[in-house]
Amino acid sequence: MGVNYHGRILKVNHEERGVNFQSVIATLHQFWSDRGCLIAQPYDVEKGAGTKSPHTFLRAIGPEPWSVAYVEPCRRPGDGRYGQNPNRYQYYYQYQVFIKPSPPNIQDTYLDSLRALGIRPEDHDIRFVEDNWEDAAVGAWGVGWEVWLDGMEITQFTYFQQCGGLDCSPVSIEMTYGLERLTMYLQEVDGIAKIKWNDCLSYGDVHLQGEIEQSTYNFEASSPSLLFNLFNLYEQEATQLIQRQLVLPALDYVLKCSHGFNLLDARGVISVSERTRYIGRIRSLARQVAQLYFTQRESLEFPLCKLPIASQITG
Amino acid sequence: MDKNTFLLEVGTEEMPATFVAGALHQWRSQISASLSDHFLTAESIEVYGTPRRLVVLVHGLPAQQPDRHEEIKGPSLQAAFTNGQPGKAAIGFAQKQGLGVEQLVTRLTDKGEFLFALKRTPGQPTSQLLSHLAYEWIMGLEGKRLMRWGDGDLKFSRPIRWLLALWQEQLLPITITNGTETMVSGLYSQGHRVLHPQPVEITHSSRYQSQLQSAFIQVNPLHRRHSIQEQVQAIARTVGGHAVIYPELLDEVTHLVEWPTAIIGAYDPEFLNLPPEVITTVMVTHQRYFPVLQGELGGELSAPIHGAPLLPYFITISNGDPAKSSLIAAGNERVIRARLADAQFFYQADTTHSLEEFLPKLEQVTFQDTLGSMGQKVGRIQEIAGCITRQLNLNAQQQQTILRTSLLCKADLVTQMVGEFPELQGVIGQNYALVSGESEEIACGIFEHYLPRNADDFLPQSLPGQVVGISDRLDTLVNIFGIGLLPSGSSDPFALRRAANAIINIIWSARLPLNLFTLLENTCIQFAAKGERQNPLPVLRDFFIQRVRNLLQDERSIDYDLVQAVLGDNDSTYTQLVLQDLLNGLDRALFLQTIRHNGTLGQIYPTVNRASRLAIHGDLPKEVLNPASIINPHLFLEPSEQGLYDALLQLLPITQSCQMDRDYQKLVAGLVAIAQPVSDFFDGPHSVLVMDENPDIRHNRLNLLAILRNHALILADFNCIVKDS
Repeated sequence: MGVNYHGRILKVNHEERGVNFQSVIATLHQFWSDRGCLIAQPYDVEKGAGTKSPHTFLRAIGPEPWSVAYVEPCRRPGDGRYGQNPNRYQYYYQYQVFIKPSPPNIQDTYLDSLRALGIRPEDHDIRFVEDNWEDAAVGAWGVGWEVWLDGMEITQFTYFQQCGGLDCSPVSIEMTYGLERLTMYLQEVDGIAKIKWNDCLSYGDVHLQGEIEQSTYNFEASSPSLLFNLFNLYEQEATQLIQRQLVLPALDYVLKCSHGFNLLDARGVISVSERTRYIGRIRSLARQVAQLYFTQRESLEFPLCKLPIASQITG
Repeated sequence: MDKNTFLLEVGTEEMPATFVAGALHQWRSQISASLSDHFLTAESIEVYGTPRRLVVLVHGLPAQQPDRHEEIKGPSLQAAFTNGQPGKAAIGFAQKQGLGVEQLVTRLTDKGEFLFALKRTPGQPTSQLLSHLAYEWIMGLEGKRLMRWGDGDLKFSRPIRWLLALWQEQLLPITITNGTETMVSGLYSQGHRVLHPQPVEITHSSRYQSQLQSAFIQVNPLHRRHSIQEQVQAIARTVGGHAVIYPELLDEVTHLVEWPTAIIGAYDPEFLNLPPEVITTVMVTHQRYFPVLQGELGGELSAPIHGAPLLPYFITISNGDPAKSSLIAAGNERVIRARLADAQFFYQADTTHSLEEFLPKLEQVTFQDTLGSMGQKVGRIQEIAGCITRQLNLNAQQQQTILRTSLLCKADLVTQMVGEFPELQGVIGQNYALVSGESEEIACGIFEHYLPRNADDFLPQSLPGQVVGISDRLDTLVNIFGIGLLPSGSSDPFALRRAANAIINIIWSARLPLNLFTLLENTCIQFAAKGERQNPLPVLRDFFIQRVRNLLQDERSIDYDLVQAVLGDNDSTYTQLVLQDLLNGLDRALFLQTIRHNGTLGQIYPTVNRASRLAIHGDLPKEVLNPASIINPHLFLEPSEQGLYDALLQLLPITQSCQMDRDYQKLVAGLVAIAQPVSDFFDGPHSVLVMDENPDIRHNRLNLLAILRNHALILADFNCIVKDS
């Protein structure tokens, strides 16, 4: 069943209905839910990648098992193209799956998720091509691949080795699906705006105006002096929250620093050398939060280690 | 003896191409060494690999390690027995060797009779040893960025997922434990991910390759490489073209697939209006495709046809089902269309402006922390280029061209295209310069000023490219040295060694008559003048000397001592001459090497060297060449002194003319001719003792020798030359 934009209930023949953006998300939710993942909701602070959500960034730290899947809206102000570039938006969605410890059959399970989406690996050229990942601003790095589907990168696969400057033990696996790319592929459309979000509305209907306005904001209308001030204030707040050992509120302000920095960077007001310094400031905060989280969980005796939670993913 | 085969296959998640290549290389050299450490010899070792497996087949191994006999020396007979009874020393030794005293034997050595233990170490079954060795071979592999996985601490390139180990037809047990996960070897390999998803039972090591072949795995990288090459050219011929096969790309794709199929796809010919480098970068760097050029090749392995235009096709090497090629091609076509559309978007946006209009944006790009913007750097490049054009006495038009090239050389850095494809800096500048109506010469200079981009790259051929390339690098060197960021050891983040090498090589290869020392001096003064900064000239001069030394030895194959002779020994003024005239430095080095080979150096060496070594005791400045100005013939006591004096007078015009025209052959002929007078001076019937008691006579004689040394110094400091054997 679906609803058209007049609010009238439509009867939809599921056999004939093609794939759309929201059905891709629903399929992935169902798939990973069936394999024991917690289905979480997006985190409500601006961020450049799903990795920065506490569901990943914090849970990667320490010995406790964790399996989660969620959609994460990402903001990368510098990628704005006023909606004119068909393939690049400054606001888009990632589908993030994060499992600790990394299970032995994860590649097969991942390929099954593609089957669930209607992509039969048997019909395509699917490749795991080396791609290592590093986010210096949060002291995190890992090794893995970008997954190619007939030459198109559709997923980023990463075995976390370090997070917040701490060694990850056990190691987690992170899979980040590019939802727009996948859907464009499935719908055979050649532009993000043309993606059918549901049966009546396109991605462009939902987000195109936002792209234009946010690009204008990112590149022309933002006030650098205000943003510089905000960065300093966010940093102060994060620092005092770290002192009070409030992990999650502190992380929120680290994320705000990070986004603030991205806005300044997009505005072109940060020189190469200042860049390194700003990243250093954010990294220092992120490391402290990571360490704080570890200490906190340790003092709680790592409660999730005792739960019989479904951390072993079955294919 | 039975000869047996050992098969080991390590199954993994997809390893990086570079790791696989490196691992195979390591196994090739290390496995036979590891075997011989354990007294085993194999008849042959085959090493194979794909992204998902590393394989070694060891043929012709004995079933059993050979027994080893050792004679271990113990105490002397005298110390071992008292009254025919074994003492402490004998009993202790026997116990240590696990023998009874009665089992020890006596041997006569040159120090008397000693007790010996004869030990026989029985050989272990080879299979038992291999269980341990194989583990070491696997875990001993080195590579960049190894990873941990699961809850264990093992490190490997990517997670290990299965082990196949076969000793003849028997399973050979190998266990690898990673945290709670234990991998035990089995008799099964894995086939292709989608073409043969079932495990493959390997029944005999000799059938391994053919069984995997049936499971759509080509384990031999050489076969895959060859097959890719053939398929790529064959499919290119179907559209009347030929593929450009870059060796590094071929190596990489060889290790990206287990079952290669070449697939050709097309893109809209309208994209051909993009600079061809943009299209090939998208294909090669981003997509690992082979570009297709117009025209068919003569032979399979011929080089691509020079200057042939791109055809609107690409070739990808698929790891998928060959039967699905058209679907896979369609998918790839959509990807490259999107990528080229992006590039098209940047191209159109960029070319609504002229290249010059990008210049103000360079002010917003930082060159380095304390060294201002790229805009300021461009200003400095222009100044240095100005100095060079004046040194080279270029005409007004040439100067104009070079100044314009310097002005525009960095403008493309702030274009969207270079933002997207940083590796195309210079290429885009050249293209946009032409679109903006700049001359061919300027456009070419913009591109060439980045040359050479690496050790194997071309040098700039055009004068603007050469001059701006030198200026840009000189500015970087002076400024980065100026703020104290010198390269140290293997750390050279600003690639300063490469920059200095490039300057020297450009000057040498284009034979630019430049005084590099003056250029350095001026640039350093300019640098120091801005604020209270230290003048980096002394360090930088030594740095350049070191570069010259390295280049002469490593790239020009000049003997170490001859390079030292050109640079001189502990005389900075003499050494500096090389920077003041780099061409002369190179010519002298090459000439010395030539005359060493043809034997002339051996002829003049004793003469000049003898004079030079004694001349050190005098104090004559090195620039004095004319004996008439300094020698007092009234102090001569022997005709041999007059003889040498006359010979030096004869040599003077030769040396002076050689200073002008750099024809060192003349000088060397002169030095050959002076051998006899020198010999008479030292050894003849009228020879003299140089170190005479009379200081005036001594001084006069030392001066004669010093003048000879000074003549030779025009070519080299002979004190540094090691006598030819």
